[in-house]
Amino acid sequence: MSENNRSSLQVVSKILKHAREAPATSAHGLLLGLDLDGILEVSNSFPLPHHSGDEDDKSSKFAARYQASMLRSLKEVQADDSVVGFYQATTLGAFFHQNLVDTQAIHHDKLRHGGIVVVHDITQTARGNASFRAFRLTAAFLDAYKTSNFNTASLVSHRLTFSTIMEEVPLKIRTNPLLSSFLGSLSERYSTALSDSPPYAAADSALPPSFSVLDLGSAGLTKNLEQIAEALDSYRTEEGNLAYLSRQIARERSRADNYVMKRKEENITRVAQGQAPLPEEDVTRLFKIPAEPSRLESLLLLGQVDAYAKSLAGTASNGLVKMYAARAGSNV
Amino acid sequence: MPLQPSSSAIHVYGSLDASTAIQNAPRTPMSVTIHPVALFSILDHYLRRTDKQDRVLGTLLGTRTDTGVEVRSSFAVLHSETSEQVAVDMDYHRTMYDLHHKVNSKEVIVGWYSTGSNLNTFSALIQNFYSQETAPHQAIHVALNTGVDDSEPAGIKAYFSAPVGVFPRPENCVFVPVPVELRFHDTERSGLDLLTSTATSPNSTSNQPLSDLEILEQSIQNVSDMLDRVLAYVRSVLAGEIKGDPALGRYLMDTLGASTDDLEKGGFNASLQDTLMISYLANLVRAQAEVSSRLALVTSA
Repeated sequence: MSENNRSSLQVVSKILKHAREAPATSAHGLLLGLDLDGILEVSNSFPLPHHSGDEDDKSSKFAARYQASMLRSLKEVQADDSVVGFYQATTLGAFFHQNLVDTQAIHHDKLRHGGIVVVHDITQTARGNASFRAFRLTAAFLDAYKTSNFNTASLVSHRLTFSTIMEEVPLKIRTNPLLSSFLGSLSERYSTALSDSPPYAAADSALPPSFSVLDLGSAGLTKNLEQIAEALDSYRTEEGNLAYLSRQIARERSRADNYVMKRKEENITRVAQGQAPLPEEDVTRLFKIPAEPSRLESLLLLGQVDAYAKSLAGTASNGLVKMYAARAGSNV
Repeated sequence: MPLQPSSSAIHVYGSLDASTAIQNAPRTPMSVTIHPVALFSILDHYLRRTDKQDRVLGTLLGTRTDTGVEVRSSFAVLHSETSEQVAVDMDYHRTMYDLHHKVNSKEVIVGWYSTGSNLNTFSALIQNFYSQETAPHQAIHVALNTGVDDSEPAGIKAYFSAPVGVFPRPENCVFVPVPVELRFHDTERSGLDLLTSTATSPNSTSNQPLSDLEILEQSIQNVSDMLDRVLAYVRSVLAGEIKGDPALGRYLMDTLGASTDDLEKGGFNASLQDTLMISYLANLVRAQAEVSSRLALVTSA
């Protein structure tokens, strides 16, 4: 499917603002727009209230009411009022979360063409590269998600790794002519009428060029490393849990097998002695074999580790270029 | 950042006269700053107006400081205007404000916007209404000229109101201009860069995501262009073609004389090694993660 996706200017700046103001990575909201068979035009967005994990029922009801009345209000002023997806702010590119996947899966059922999630990376934006990426869930993942079956066999049959949970959708930023012209007049340089103003004020514009990308500081690296270590830790805990559970399963299963075997041997001897064989009981009732654990969580954690490492590698390589550039500059 | 060329006009504010002013009365705002989000919402609203509407108006949300007003966002409000009367949908305004308040409780009503720079009796009436909403503070009015009419250039003006006449009446007021600036957080800067580059590119579209290196390349290119320009200027001054500006010389000295001692004293090698180490580590982690996810798919059979 060559589904495309275009975001308008307004959405970009709204997401930027919300992402910066909201605490941590909790900024999320709805994208509104048009679904033009194959191309999603995102034209507006609004933030959703920040909910804290507890009292899920109450907060979800509240959010639903909020969403409904917001949509109704927007419709009254001729704004687009059909939901086409949602956006999520994230740090350092690690956007794999149970929440995100759940929400997107719900949207997939509700919306035509499945809807998309636009991920906005705060850290990268702070470094001077406003980053927006659009994703949706792959068919294989959705198939596994519908049966809520993430045991090893299902992962193997769907060939699921962390890189195949989501697929990226090409995203384009578009401005309409009115906004383009307005922005153009904002960044235009003008000279003041005052004759004795200093040079920096003489030719000024509302949007002077910025060079935050050239910042040599590497303050973000430590945090990035910490987060990798943290993600690795939680991944190890999760793996430990999985290993424990699978050991338990194996133990129960071998006990059940032993029991069945014993009963069979007994029956053979009984038949040989001319006695009636004992009934073969249902072993599942005698031994509780726990269900195979879901590996989704560990899959997502691994995805996070990978994303953190990827952004770390990116920052490091960028840092190298900048360092050499600075040295070249200072040697002249 | 100022939105208009600075002019020689001085904004004078009436000092609080102890005999007439009520104690603790809020001061009139001396400056207005606008976040780009508010601007873009207004422009979007203007685009979506119906054929009959001449202008659109809406509520401005933001925060107040001691001396000024910071407009952080805005939303559209329904209104109808005929030659005799003006009606603003107040219920709608209240509902929208409540909705916004739930998400961002720090932002309060600070005033209203309209497109076009036409200030008339209706403006005064609406201003009167919004003043009640923002009491005891002054409501501000932002007039945004979209630049669609040829007669006036695109721009933004901000006003607060003062009563006029012997007997003040709601439909009479003076709109006093206030200097207005565009303000956004440093981290949002890159987003705006993205938008301006999108606006100037053909078809007004741009692809996402850009890699960090591309952005870096653009920046370095930009710096190198600037250096070329400075070099050309300095050369022509040295050759005696133009008369050098001493102020400019000072700025150049301050900018280019920055110390790079730290880099030369072995700092470069040390941090080069650090960076290489981190890069190696990151790639190692990625490789491990990839292997681990593949191994999870291998059945024991």
